[in-house]
Amino acid sequence: MKLFYSTSTKVQYITKGLELSKSLFVSSLIIGEAHIGKKSLIKSIFPEIPWVDGSDIIKLKQTLNKHDELIISNFELYGDYSIGDFKGKRIIAISDSTSFPSHIDSLFAFIYTMPSLKERPEDVEYLADIFTKEARSIFMTKDISPLDLAKIDLADNTKSLKKAIFEHQAYNTITPNKIERILYNYFEKELGGNNDYAKYLPIFEHPLIMAGLDKFGSQLKLSSILGINRNTLRKKVYELGIN
Amino acid sequence: MNLESIDFKLFIETDNNPFILFESSGHIIYLNNAAEMLLCYVGTKELYDLTLTYAPKTFGHKSTIHSLEYESFSFYSLMVGYETDEQIYLRLYNKPLVQTKISISNESLIATDINTILEANITLFQLESNAAISLFVDQELPAFKLDQNYFSIMLRKAFNSFINSTTLDVVLKLIVGEYILIDDKKHQMIELVLKAPKRRVDHDDEISQLANQTHIASSLKPEIIKFQIPLIL
Repeated sequence: MKLFYSTSTKVQYITKGLELSKSLFVSSLIIGEAHIGKKSLIKSIFPEIPWVDGSDIIKLKQTLNKHDELIISNFELYGDYSIGDFKGKRIIAISDSTSFPSHIDSLFAFIYTMPSLKERPEDVEYLADIFTKEARSIFMTKDISPLDLAKIDLADNTKSLKKAIFEHQAYNTITPNKIERILYNYFEKELGGNNDYAKYLPIFEHPLIMAGLDKFGSQLKLSSILGINRNTLRKKVYELGIN
Repeated sequence: MNLESIDFKLFIETDNNPFILFESSGHIIYLNNAAEMLLCYVGTKELYDLTLTYAPKTFGHKSTIHSLEYESFSFYSLMVGYETDEQIYLRLYNKPLVQTKISISNESLIATDINTILEANITLFQLESNAAISLFVDQELPAFKLDQNYFSIMLRKAFNSFINSTTLDVVLKLIVGEYILIDDKKHQMIELVLKAPKRRVDHDDEISQLANQTHIASSLKPEIIKFQIPLIL
């Protein structure tokens, strides 16, 4: 697997710009949402330059004294943006935040804004493929239907994508034994009220009726499948707030 | 001394202030070297109209204090005169430049391929702009010494002023016949021109300041930015 891959035109421009800047002694700042591949991109282009976390001020200052070239991750956490510290240095800074004091603009030769994963649909498919392979290897699965990528909420970018794919793989390999084990652990932790049967019953009923309605389409059909009266089913649907 | 034997024309020819002699129809009969350079940037008709506007009412010579700007040329005064109905001359007086002794600290200067730094800036510009870029650059320019970080910040801001333009012309070339003295050493100059139908001008002061810091002469007009960069080898 490549350290960083993108077919997004914008990301390719950023990659090209950073590649060109390799032969120059200039500072660059790369900003964008968390979990969009900024660190992997920098790591793939500048593998030799030492890294330091912007939140560790003491280590950062020590490393600045020792090295002329430095990658600072979490740059937004480095509160002291004094220009003197960076003079004569080549700094590659990575930040999840886009708001900085105005003079930051004059510290960096190049400031790149990396698009989020939502803005790079072409990359979602590629990453989903990698995460699916990884999840299949961990869960030892192979024939599970792929996840509908359009339905995934990418609020946390690759983190959301990976989580959704791993959950999909995990949920589709689950056995009644595992469900029982999960429920056992949950109830052991949660039970302790005076009306817990009624309180926790929807945990069973809600997914059962929802899945049944999705699968069979009508309450009439589902009531026959479940072997319960359709008035009882209708009442349950109402009580559970199923639309 | 017999003054008639002295070729006064030579003094006018090499004078740094442009001198143009027109015939009554507006055609140029004679122009000196400085005027020849000026005519690369301003039309004959515009200069002839200027001549007529500031001409004395009758035969003679008239000086007028008047500020004029043509691209990177700045004049503070002009003189117009005629002795016959057939010819009239215009002489423009260069605005004196504030002379600062230029000295460069070599510590921050690194031998640089200007085409690489330009390409990196164009790549960054293309991230935010859809402008059709026309590139006319001299790929054979030698590597020369620059403060890469400052120069690149200046370029980023200059390019950014064209962010809403639909087109952008970029020209990079060696200037022939002009030099700049730095630390008493003569250096050739490279000219970088960015041109579009219109651009943002709100960061012009900052761009000029960055240019000054890097010993680059800059000219910022509403449609064009021009940098003259010393070629320090």
